[in-house]
Amino acid sequence: MNKRFKETSRRGAIGWFLQRITAVIVFILLMIHYVTYHFLSKGKAPSYDQIIAKTATWWFPLVQFVLLFAGLWHGLYGTWVILEDYVHNKYWRLVLYTLLVTGGAALLFLGTLTIIKVASLKIS
Amino acid sequence: MYRKTRFYDWNYYHFVGSWAWILHRLSGLALIFYLSLHIWVINTLTHGPEAFNRTMEYLNTWPFKLLEIGLWGVILYHAFNGIRVVLVDFGKGSLAHKRLFIGAIAIAFILLVIGGVIIASHIVWRMP
Repeated sequence: MNKRFKETSRRGAIGWFLQRITAVIVFILLMIHYVTYHFLSKGKAPSYDQIIAKTATWWFPLVQFVLLFAGLWHGLYGTWVILEDYVHNKYWRLVLYTLLVTGGAALLFLGTLTIIKVASLKIS
Repeated sequence: MYRKTRFYDWNYYHFVGSWAWILHRLSGLALIFYLSLHIWVINTLTHGPEAFNRTMEYLNTWPFKLLEIGLWGVILYHAFNGIRVVLVDFGKGSLAHKRLFIGAIAIAFILLVIGGVIIASHIVWRMP
């Protein structure tokens, strides 16, 4: 890592660094997500009851939220990095940036709502 | 101000690194699209067991499960090439980034076969 990165582009450097941090978080949690939800469900796709049963511990919804937040951050920041390469008009950039932020906020809201509601459910 | 960039510069050398880079971008865009769909579909959990199981019954048919195996492949490519990117940036990965790419693809391929078989065993063989 360039030791003088603070002098060159602080904002870009922080974004770049957070992209690596969230990548590692998403990598670990997504592998766990896949194994626990999809690969250990005994020859069938997971059912409603199996999913609700998993959320019984206090830490499970928390881990879900960390995965949701880190995944959205990583994905939307990544999209922004790609857009910055091809969109040079500052008004278009503002429009697209606003769309990404509002879309991200809406998805975070919907995802968090699902996690909270599911955590408060009982097995039928 | 900004230098115009094309989506892919065909005058550029077509080496491992440039292909890994463009596939990483394309797979990343596919994954954020999928994540948005996933958050929306999983919200049906809050509509009760009937609604969720009905949705899943539909999504467990073979066309969606085949797409799901494809998704697992895209995830593995992005994940293991991403590990390579982190190793190149933080470690001494740049000295061996092509070999790292081959290694990443090999691990991803093995996991794709294992996961693909498991996902295929969940297929409900009827039309959606």
